[in-house]
Amino acid sequence: MRLVSPLARGARLRPLSSGPAAPPHAAGVRRFLVAAVAFVAVLAVASPAWAHAQLVAATPSQDATLTASPATVELTFSEDLNPEFVTVALSNATRQRLPTSTPSVAGPTATVTPGGPLVDGVYTVAYRVVSADGHTVQGSYDFTVGTPAQPVAAARASTPSGLPWFVLAGLGVLGLALAGAAAYFYAFGRRKRP
Amino acid sequence: MTSRRHLLTGAAAAGLGAAAGGGLVAAARSDTPTSVAAVESLTTGTSTVPFYGPRQAGVAEDPPAHAAFVAFTLPAGTDRRALGRMMRLLSDDAGRLTQGVPALGDTDATLAPLPSRLTVTFGFGTGLYRAAGLESPVADLPKFKIDRLEQRWSGGDLLLQICADDPLTVAHTQRMLIKDARPFAAVRWVQQGFRRSPGVQAPEHTQRNVMGQLDGTANPRGAEIDPAVWNDDGSTTLVVRRMRAEIEKWDILSVADKENAVGRRLDSGAPLSGTQEHDEPDFTKLDASGLPAMPDFSHVTRARVTDPSLKLLRRPYNYDGVPNAAGQPDSGLIFASYQKDVARQFIPIQQRLADKDVLNEWITPIGSAVFAIPPGCTDAGWIGDQVLG
Amino acid sequence: MGMRTNVLRAAAALAVATLGLAGCGGTSSDAAAPAPAPSATAAASALTIKDPWVKAGPAGEMTAAFGTLVNDTDADITITSAESPASPLELHEMTMKDGKMVMQPKEGGFVVKAKGDHELAPGGDHLMLMKPAKAIEPGDELTFTLKLADGNTVPFTAIAKPFAGAGESYDPGHMAPMESAAP
Repeated sequence: MRLVSPLARGARLRPLSSGPAAPPHAAGVRRFLVAAVAFVAVLAVASPAWAHAQLVAATPSQDATLTASPATVELTFSEDLNPEFVTVALSNATRQRLPTSTPSVAGPTATVTPGGPLVDGVYTVAYRVVSADGHTVQGSYDFTVGTPAQPVAAARASTPSGLPWFVLAGLGVLGLALAGAAAYFYAFGRRKRP
Repeated sequence: MTSRRHLLTGAAAAGLGAAAGGGLVAAARSDTPTSVAAVESLTTGTSTVPFYGPRQAGVAEDPPAHAAFVAFTLPAGTDRRALGRMMRLLSDDAGRLTQGVPALGDTDATLAPLPSRLTVTFGFGTGLYRAAGLESPVADLPKFKIDRLEQRWSGGDLLLQICADDPLTVAHTQRMLIKDARPFAAVRWVQQGFRRSPGVQAPEHTQRNVMGQLDGTANPRGAEIDPAVWNDDGSTTLVVRRMRAEIEKWDILSVADKENAVGRRLDSGAPLSGTQEHDEPDFTKLDASGLPAMPDFSHVTRARVTDPSLKLLRRPYNYDGVPNAAGQPDSGLIFASYQKDVARQFIPIQQRLADKDVLNEWITPIGSAVFAIPPGCTDAGWIGDQVLG
Repeated sequence: MGMRTNVLRAAAALAVATLGLAGCGGTSSDAAAPAPAPSATAAASALTIKDPWVKAGPAGEMTAAFGTLVNDTDADITITSAESPASPLELHEMTMKDGKMVMQPKEGGFVVKAKGDHELAPGGDHLMLMKPAKAIEPGDELTFTLKLADGNTVPFTAIAKPFAGAGESYDPGHMAPMESAAP
């Protein structure tokens, strides 16, 4: 069980979505909210309060197990992408970058085509895009082609951030609760709008 | 060998007496040079850079702390003779002032004796060559889509780059040279900039710009300078671009966002693929999450040049003007780049940066000018004598 | 070309004088800065002029030449007159007259004391170009010849500079006020 948020998967814990004026505490809370929401559902609609681009849909999806090599990798974000600043990197379990087409960008969606069929194994899709306000948004997730020897999570017990899986699981539970709170405030906020 | 202009022979002279006389005259006029010389550690003010030589000074030397870039416009009808007279006069001034000697007729001669590594570098714009009826070795830059050029910072027929480790020296030199240039040309723009003061950091340290970035890490150094900068005849070229820093927008970014934009760590200046400032960036390296450690669209990635003959010698100065009433700064960089060939070296890099460089979000070119830097001269000649003489 | 740290050339020259070293190039390798140097010719009298320059100006308008006369000998040297292809010349001095600084021809010429120097400068003694035949443009080089009382002559070349300093008023009984140099 892993958070899909780039926050938990980045090479370092980067404050990817820190707002301009948010004090550290508020920013931290917001990060949890972002993580929680992403964890729960990969919501199709991002709140305007989280202005930076978010990954909202992916094919292959997070942790998917495919029976055949995917023809394309398609990432959809919460806002239109600046085609000049889109990186999608596909790598294998040994962190070898695999050849792909350059990303083709249509609105909020970036698509790359692998340079060849993917043999059975675990693959990582990593993305780096730039929000309209200039913030870099990056993250990654894994998918599997064929039948891997072990579940993904067990294969790599700890994330690059150094957190053991049970901590992440705990965060996930906390995230569920916070997601509930987020959903509440989201609905509350909408109701208050004229 | 002394120039006939600097020293006029009499019917006869014996060296010692003449030297003594001249020395006493100068000493009596100067700013207590003996007491300054007595304090050995106080060398910043008295340090000099030779003016005469096959190449102009103010290019390859470690940049002094303060600079004024002064561009002039020649009036219609300027001919080659007038250009020669102007350059003879300005070269004479520069030859003296850079050595701590007052200009002829210096109305504030007391300001001359602390040259503080003063250099005066002359650049010729396309308009100067046109006036002289000569083919220009440089051309104006093409328009880049990121440009928001303002006339008040752009173009120029003649450029003076005045650099010294002391701002009062720069001010005095600028004043003296403008006084002698104004019978020939109108001041078009002046850009004044600064770097760290002498003694603040070891000279080989890469300096930070107003955006906090280490600026110039990839500069050619030592023997790398020659193939990138100097033509065989001692000439080179200079591009001056005024880059406004969009500080308010930059301030919004987190450190990680800033580092992604630049491609280097803000603290160490190390490429995001490495650990030390001068580590070679590894553009194939993936980080733990599977992303290229060097972002594809970072400034370093886009500006990267490996062929030593294609590098630029950057000699940038910060500027920091007066904030507006809302407190928003007027800051940025006077980007000064020396290279053998603008078309071969500068334009391809600038084009790549204009096409795709995420840093463009926070820097805006508002001024641009290109100059040929003619070879240096002997003490009997003047800058440009090989071209205009 | 590397940076060179040295003391001011004035101090260097002073050191040369104090130590009694022959020649002026020893401590200061810099050939650029103006400094007296041995002349190619040796004669009984030795006079040099250091840093000569002329105030640029239009044709027909009076202007002046300046510099520092340096006497290298053990005897006083008197300059009795000066000539230039550019203009008739007079030796002038500035002096107080009726509470006002005015200029007038220097009676008896300029006397440069033994081992001494004599400055020609705006607001002081100068070589007056009475009526330049052509405009003297900034950056022009003009030739002059000083005539000495002992019959020797001292040729020199001076560069023309735009100059508007040292506002001088001239003896109205003697001549018209001098204008600032026009470009």
